[in-house]
Amino acid sequence: MALADRSNSSQKAQWWRSLDRVSLSCVGILIALGYILMLAASPAVAHRIGASRNMFILKQVVFLALAGSVVIVTSRLSPRMIGRIAVMGGVVALGATFLTLVHGMEIKGARRWIALPLMSVQPSEFLKPCFAVVTGLLLSLRHTLTLANGWRFPGRLVACGVYVVIAALLQAQPDIGMLSVISMVFITQLFIDGLPIIIFGMLVTAAMGAFGVAYLVFDHVHSRVQRFLHPDVGDHYQIDTSMRAFGNGGLLGRGPGEGRVKDLLPDAHADFVFSVAGEEYGFVMCLFIIAVFTVLVFSTLNRLLEEKNPYVILSAGGLVTGFGLQAFVNMGSSLHLIPTKGMTLPFISYGGSSALSVALTIGMALALTRHRMESGLFTPSPSSAETAPRLTRSFHKDQHQ
Amino acid sequence: MAFRPSRKTSRPQPEQKNGTEKRRFFLAYPLERLRAWWDDRKENPLSWLEKSRNRLVYLGMGFLFLYGGVAIKALFATILAPMAPLPNQIGSSIPEIPHPDPRAMAGNGFVLPNIRRASIMDRNGQPLALSLPVVQVYANPMEIIEPEDVAKKLRTILPTLNVAETVRRLKQKKQFVYLARNIAPVDELAINNLGIPGLYFENGEQRHYPLGNVAAQILGSVDIDNKGIAGVEKFFNQRLMQDHTPLRLSIDARVQAAVRDELNEAKNLFRAIGASAILMDVHTGEILAMVSLPDYDANNFAHAADDARFNRAVTGMYEPGSTFKLQTAAMALQLKVAHPWDQFSTTPIHVGRFTISDLKTDHFAPWLALPSVMAYSSNPASAHIALDVGRERQHDWLKNMGFLDRVPVELPEAGRPLVPSIKNWGETTVMTVGFGHGVAESPLAIVRGTACTGNGGYLVTPTLLAREHLNDDVVMAEDQKGPHLISTENSNLLRRILRLVVTKGIGKKAESPGYLVGGKTGTAEKIGAHGGYLKHVNITAFTGMFPMNDPKYALYVMLDAPQGTAETHGWTTAGWIAAPTFSRIVTRTAPMLGLFPLDAARAQQLDDQLALPLTPSVPPGVRHPLGPGNDPGAVTVNRLAARHGAHHTH
Repeated sequence: MALADRSNSSQKAQWWRSLDRVSLSCVGILIALGYILMLAASPAVAHRIGASRNMFILKQVVFLALAGSVVIVTSRLSPRMIGRIAVMGGVVALGATFLTLVHGMEIKGARRWIALPLMSVQPSEFLKPCFAVVTGLLLSLRHTLTLANGWRFPGRLVACGVYVVIAALLQAQPDIGMLSVISMVFITQLFIDGLPIIIFGMLVTAAMGAFGVAYLVFDHVHSRVQRFLHPDVGDHYQIDTSMRAFGNGGLLGRGPGEGRVKDLLPDAHADFVFSVAGEEYGFVMCLFIIAVFTVLVFSTLNRLLEEKNPYVILSAGGLVTGFGLQAFVNMGSSLHLIPTKGMTLPFISYGGSSALSVALTIGMALALTRHRMESGLFTPSPSSAETAPRLTRSFHKDQHQ
Repeated sequence: MAFRPSRKTSRPQPEQKNGTEKRRFFLAYPLERLRAWWDDRKENPLSWLEKSRNRLVYLGMGFLFLYGGVAIKALFATILAPMAPLPNQIGSSIPEIPHPDPRAMAGNGFVLPNIRRASIMDRNGQPLALSLPVVQVYANPMEIIEPEDVAKKLRTILPTLNVAETVRRLKQKKQFVYLARNIAPVDELAINNLGIPGLYFENGEQRHYPLGNVAAQILGSVDIDNKGIAGVEKFFNQRLMQDHTPLRLSIDARVQAAVRDELNEAKNLFRAIGASAILMDVHTGEILAMVSLPDYDANNFAHAADDARFNRAVTGMYEPGSTFKLQTAAMALQLKVAHPWDQFSTTPIHVGRFTISDLKTDHFAPWLALPSVMAYSSNPASAHIALDVGRERQHDWLKNMGFLDRVPVELPEAGRPLVPSIKNWGETTVMTVGFGHGVAESPLAIVRGTACTGNGGYLVTPTLLAREHLNDDVVMAEDQKGPHLISTENSNLLRRILRLVVTKGIGKKAESPGYLVGGKTGTAEKIGAHGGYLKHVNITAFTGMFPMNDPKYALYVMLDAPQGTAETHGWTTAGWIAAPTFSRIVTRTAPMLGLFPLDAARAQQLDDQLALPLTPSVPPGVRHPLGPGNDPGAVTVNRLAARHGAHHTH
């Protein structure tokens, strides 16, 4: 391939050579699967809500094309740029999330969306990747930044502060699913950061306690957990239909377009798209989708093992954890492995906010995991090439804007 | 996670010292290695990078665990333990081809194909309730091409169709709208022949009650989903849906209609607000007629007034009044407390603010023998009899006779009687219950008790289902009879007493020549809205049997708040109101039941056998008959009267 030719020193070629091409291929596969499954899942839903048969498909074509471009464009940025974008984007998303509480559209009892002309946007979706990068940045600053009084930059403390603000906003919406994913990402980042194992254990316990409180405080959390624990009581229409879709699929599935139960799935195009895959293409397709996600996550983690920059390790680790968890929650809830939680399957489920958000996530992860020219053992350290202090400065500049 | 093994090294060590050689060999080596690793780790702590790489590996293992779980669960959901889709989720949209039900064909009633609810018929096979096939027309507006055209075409077949409304419905963004309900199968065929795409039919059935008002409260009704909501339809809902053979009731539609007719006439004549009558087979408990007025057309249950739906025969609770004296007499005779020759005081009894007395117009002798007490219906004398029986035995008797519980009958409406609890069952209650006040019973309970006194003493279970009779004469096998509560001799005596009420007592207007009727009147003052008894507003009842030489049927007639007429000289008591109605019903329905009036000579002969003197002489050998000078109840009565007097001195 021409781009792989080492003598080709164009920016494009360098980008291609340094890129995690395995992950990028996985994204391509997922987008392709997204198109195929949208063809199967969306007409019934569109029919039910009285929309045109192809509305979802056409919109999704646009969304996924956009998502693909976002992945490519973002992956070409430098880690420093990623940091800047994350900080700026994080501030904007945080503000927008705050706005949802004031001006948000209320859908099914939660205020998470802001209505825009063509689509409604869920700002917290964009908060997730930005927060992961910002946390990585703050945690890594401990190693590189010293305060005026000689102390190290209290990265963990500041990161915790940011987390508390976001958590307060999300529980006010309320968006317990997003909050738990962000919390798990944050805990994972602290874990990678070398948090003593005892404190880590305490954090996990605290998270479980928080979930217990949510179970007691929020009615919808309570009812979903109850329904998960007691299959005999309450309304199980959704999860029953989903499980029947898998059961109808079997090993090889009913074949493309031959699914029947999918027509009755309430959110076949979004939350239960995995069930549609199970019914039409069977266990084989389910396993394939799981494998693609596994490869994507592991390929990124593998790159991080060779990485030396704490900022990159922490940020990319957080990004890929959020991505992987989102996929797990979606597949797990449609398989009745965990209580039902409306979360999209990255790149496969219908949804503009979601597609762009995961595209941003993966694009950032790809950008961070690109092989970079780094100073070797015998390279004289060029003071101007230091990344972190520059980044810090720009960080402060952004803060003061 | 990394330092967890260190704890393991420190913990099992004491164990090792106590352990055997073999055990030490297996455990010691890995533990020593761990310890060495831990010591090394303490001396050379990991750099941040090394630590974070370790933890990235743990993170990867965590993801492997999560995704592995998903994969295993997917394996279970699809192959190992798949949940089968529901038939309607994967079923085709072709409707099921109807097929005749062989079980329904086997039934000998009126059966239609595709009908799920069995019909109900009377004891002679006359249909009382049956379902007819109807069709609902619905449309999927998404498939309709020209709503206006469709509505116009439908109008040609369904003249009552509202075209504008139909067009509006067909233009809705829905997939299901009803266009017409309960149309005939012929119209379904005609609509189908129009060939309009998007129109569909739903087969249904509609319940019809061909006899209208007859037995309306007994039959009850069904809701729009064919589910029984009242009466027999509710009680036998499951039976009617599962077994397609018609349900045969004990009701005789002809008798039911005749009883209703006569009762309605009496109700109108005496301007009563309500009326009820029950005709029951005294041996089998089969209810041949049960009427409650006012009634309604059973086909129009939904719009019937509450008062009309109310089944006075089983739900209505009325103070039985003097009809209950029959029970007092029966228990006194059966318990050998009283004998026909025993006499009882008719002097008014004072209890608190109340006085138990007879009507001022009655001029009774101060002491009356038991037959006279019944024939003339003396309240104080009955109170005395009840006092002689005593509290416990009276309560037990009424319990055994089923007066303290819901009457067992196949109607969900059957109500509980209103009776005082045992701890409130004091001496006053004993006396008032003795002449039928202080308790409220359903007419069906009264007629059941009446049947027991005349059928040889067996307590029957009232039923609305036709029984298989052994034959016409011996109608019940011995083991099918209910508990034997009254001896045959006492039952014979009670029959003669009941006949005496009609021949010589206050029930003379019940006489139906040739049918040898007997019975007991009952007049109870109604209780007003404020709890006090209303003067001149009565429940008049007559409970009796015929023919008294060998009772076959028990009949109860009740009129609620009748008003006097010229013929009754303004009287609103049972003897003037209920008794003649009883007679009219007997003379009209008895021939339908296969009983014909005896010729006068034969009737006289049987009457002579049944005759009983109003004041029987004390047979020789009886040392102390109850009467003047031997009155155990006097003690209680005097005590209560004394307390009453003391109360007044204050």
